[in-house]
Amino acid sequence: MFAYTIKRLLTLIPTLFAASVLVFAFIHLIPGDPVAVLLGDTATPEEIAALSAEMGLDEPIYIQYAYWLGNVMQGDLGRSIFFQEPVTRVIADGAETSILLALMTMVWIVVLGVPIGVIAATRHGGWIDQIASGGAMFAASIPTFWLGLYLILIFAVTLGWLPSSGFPSVFDDGGLANLRYLLLPSLTLAAPNSALIIRLVRASMLDVQREDHVRTARAKGLHPAKVALKHVFRNALVAVAAAFGFTFAALISEAVVTETVFSLPGIGRLVVESILRRDYPVIQGVVLVIVCLYLVINLIVDLAYAWLDPRVSLK
Amino acid sequence: MTAALATFNQVFRGRRLALLGVGWLIIVAIAVVFAPWLTPYDPLEIDPVARLTAPNAEHWFGTDHFGRDTLARCIYGARMALLIGLGAVVVSLVGGTLIGMLSAYFTRLGHVLMRVVDVAMAFPALLLALVLMTILDRSVTNTIFVIGIVYTTTTARILFGMTLKLKNEVFVDAAVVTGAGHPSVLFKHILPNLISPLLVQATFIFAFAQLQAAALDFLGLGLPPEIPSWGNMLAESRVYVTRASWLLMFPGALIILTVFSMNLVGDALRDAIDPRFKDDIAGV
Repeated sequence: MFAYTIKRLLTLIPTLFAASVLVFAFIHLIPGDPVAVLLGDTATPEEIAALSAEMGLDEPIYIQYAYWLGNVMQGDLGRSIFFQEPVTRVIADGAETSILLALMTMVWIVVLGVPIGVIAATRHGGWIDQIASGGAMFAASIPTFWLGLYLILIFAVTLGWLPSSGFPSVFDDGGLANLRYLLLPSLTLAAPNSALIIRLVRASMLDVQREDHVRTARAKGLHPAKVALKHVFRNALVAVAAAFGFTFAALISEAVVTETVFSLPGIGRLVVESILRRDYPVIQGVVLVIVCLYLVINLIVDLAYAWLDPRVSLK
Repeated sequence: MTAALATFNQVFRGRRLALLGVGWLIIVAIAVVFAPWLTPYDPLEIDPVARLTAPNAEHWFGTDHFGRDTLARCIYGARMALLIGLGAVVVSLVGGTLIGMLSAYFTRLGHVLMRVVDVAMAFPALLLALVLMTILDRSVTNTIFVIGIVYTTTTARILFGMTLKLKNEVFVDAAVVTGAGHPSVLFKHILPNLISPLLVQATFIFAFAQLQAAALDFLGLGLPPEIPSWGNMLAESRVYVTRASWLLMFPGALIILTVFSMNLVGDALRDAIDPRFKDDIAGV
């Protein structure tokens, strides 16, 4: 396990390095002078000269990359053109919303996806299984923003039960009750991702059911529910654990859309608005943060997977 | 023809829902080909008098905020859906197959190419598409290209695994022993065995491409706004959603039906292909 951890950590470094090169290159791929791109249209010649010197634009490109990476390592992701604030602060402002949204979505996925998957697998081939599998595929075919708009139309506009947009911090007035603002967005995000988990739980339960130890458990005369939960579900969960890495990636992608639909002050909406405002330093910073986060989460998931199923690290 | 029918029968026998999916896709195909004959309205024609009219005998799907006929726009939107879907499939399958096959066949090249794929996969799909669209202009070609690139990486990873499995089969050894060169082994002996899994992968990419394109349109970073696509129609409907819910309902339902049908067909095809490759292809 230790050797596997080290090996996995070592493969992370070149990937992170290459991803950082791509994120750095992004500013240089946009047509126009990178300094003008970073400072926006309102920049004065003095500001342009100062930033050019800071970025080392008269130096070769790899030196420029080294300057940039040095700044990133010190937590300096540049300055937002629109907010006139450090990019790190702009990202930190959106972090609360996005983290809480992701957590609430994960709760829905576990609460909805896992039990439905288990029930579908235990009723394999029956009508419950067909409805669950077909329903999951249908849910995965719905555009997230469309579902979000319909939920707003039903629960916010028509019934008036829940707020339709925005999210005041849980540290402001209202406290934890403010989480109700995230109820519809998290359900919207959970729908397609629960679908994925339902199908995965079902498929891995069916795989495990065919294994010898399950047949032995049945032959011993154990109660079917006990076999399903203790012998099949526990082993099937290992495969599902690995899927959470992918789910998280999907969450990040779809949060961009969901946060826009519900006008949430999160990182996802920040990406979209920064693209529309051409606030390149923010785009660059957010993309770098998300990619790092994604790689680290995948690393944790892989290690958890190896820990749960020791056969993985031996391969 | 009889062989094709037999295969069709084998894949879809007992799968009523998947057959309905095929039926829906045929309807979409008819809409694509016969669009100008299916509706008397021009999808771009503005009629200020008839703006935001609810569905009625004259305008079956109602009209939008410019008084344009929603049904006509939905029918012409099918053309865009097909174009984007097929375009993304071609880009990702050609790119992904080449990268995946070459990487598995030439091990050293594979070390480099698959690391590049790993790095590209470190960017979540929609985020990668958004970043690429920042650099490029909003156009049909760029949207196809961007969505195609996003799924090239997944396809390359899948093809890499499949080619590795085939590379060690006896028929490949036999081809090498009889003097076949690398191109011949790759494209005459290995590739034909990958056609059916590629077909399955194509259905899933087509379905995903619809959702990605709609999301890009909705965020204002996909097709140019004047093009009648289902995604653009939904993006425009957002402002009028409380007054004109039909603007949200019809294009949304069309996307869902098309994506769902494609997924059903893909699922049926996946169950019918070579069992060696079943675990490689991840659908919905």
